[in-house]
Amino acid sequence: MKRLTLAGLALYLALPSVALAAEDEEFDPAHEWELQEWIPIHVGPLDLSINKAVAYLILGTVCACLLGIVLMRVRFGAGPNRRQAVGEQIYEIAQVQVAEQGLPTKAIGRWFPYVASLMIFIWVLNFISFIPLPLSDERFSVLGVELPTLAIFAATSTLSVTLALALMTWVFTHVEGIRANGALGYFKSWIPDVPKALLPMIVPLEILGQFMRLVSLSVRLYANMLAGHMLILTFIGLIFLTHWLVFPISVLFGTVFYLFEVVIVVSVQAYIFAALSAIYIGSAIEPEH
Amino acid sequence: MLSSFFFLAAAEDGADAGKAIALALGIGLGSLGAGIGIGNIFGSMIQAVARQPELRGELQGIQWLGFALTEAVVFYGLIGGLLAFVLI
Repeated sequence: MKRLTLAGLALYLALPSVALAAEDEEFDPAHEWELQEWIPIHVGPLDLSINKAVAYLILGTVCACLLGIVLMRVRFGAGPNRRQAVGEQIYEIAQVQVAEQGLPTKAIGRWFPYVASLMIFIWVLNFISFIPLPLSDERFSVLGVELPTLAIFAATSTLSVTLALALMTWVFTHVEGIRANGALGYFKSWIPDVPKALLPMIVPLEILGQFMRLVSLSVRLYANMLAGHMLILTFIGLIFLTHWLVFPISVLFGTVFYLFEVVIVVSVQAYIFAALSAIYIGSAIEPEH
Repeated sequence: MLSSFFFLAAAEDGADAGKAIALALGIGLGSLGAGIGIGNIFGSMIQAVARQPELRGELQGIQWLGFALTEAVVFYGLIGGLLAFVLI
């Protein structure tokens, strides 16, 4: 815990370089979310350009794959070691806490890989978003070489990423519901047991509720990461916006929020997204009535 | 755009200041409810574990699920407030 705190502090103190890069313009944390195109790719009306968020997504995908391979596949020596124990712990959380809580037993074999990879992927994306990486739009020059500044940015704090993930769960929910119960049986399960007179009111609400799941699933992750990054950047920005005497207070608060985000929010959000996906898919496969 | 949200004194006209105050008030009042809710969840968790310590592992998953669902309510308010702040 002590080592973790120190590492967090060191990472956090590397951050003010973010704001220093933008000293000639007015400091505004919201600038971090204006994505500039690095490699423009336009296919018809679609904008598929590589930008900061896409770079973070690629990095997150590579890290998530490596995490799984290194912790669970590669083996050194004969007996189990610490690395393997960590891998098994992650596996156990994914199985016991996420998959078995939401999915019916017959569906675990099919949907466990999906919810487990969702959990690990979102966890890695959230986690690397709090490590200052040289992947920002701002540039500074050292000895005539233009280098990107260190900055924190979460791919999950852009709505497109979380909406894509939520949309995937949402489509899988309905596809699996129709496959398990038949189209008629599945849509019948949306109609609750209420008096017939109330049905015209209840049914539209149920249909609306299905779409609200999409909104709540994506906005929960998006807003959590956005608010966390905004808070940290704002507390750093206070030094530049007001007076240098604010420094001790703002660094203290910033560090507290930084540690809170890294220790709790990162893991809880990844867990929640995967657990709710499992619950939604599970409830579509086995409706209550 | 958001500079007056971060530094109220910089807001030159009254409308901007009013919007900033409204946003802050909205988020503050919104977090009131979620604060009570999160307190309830953890309080009940402590009680439950004190009564039946062997159920801790099972309860922990439900606890974090409830925590995240409640906490998200603040952020719906925040997103709504920011949308209103930017659009109007």
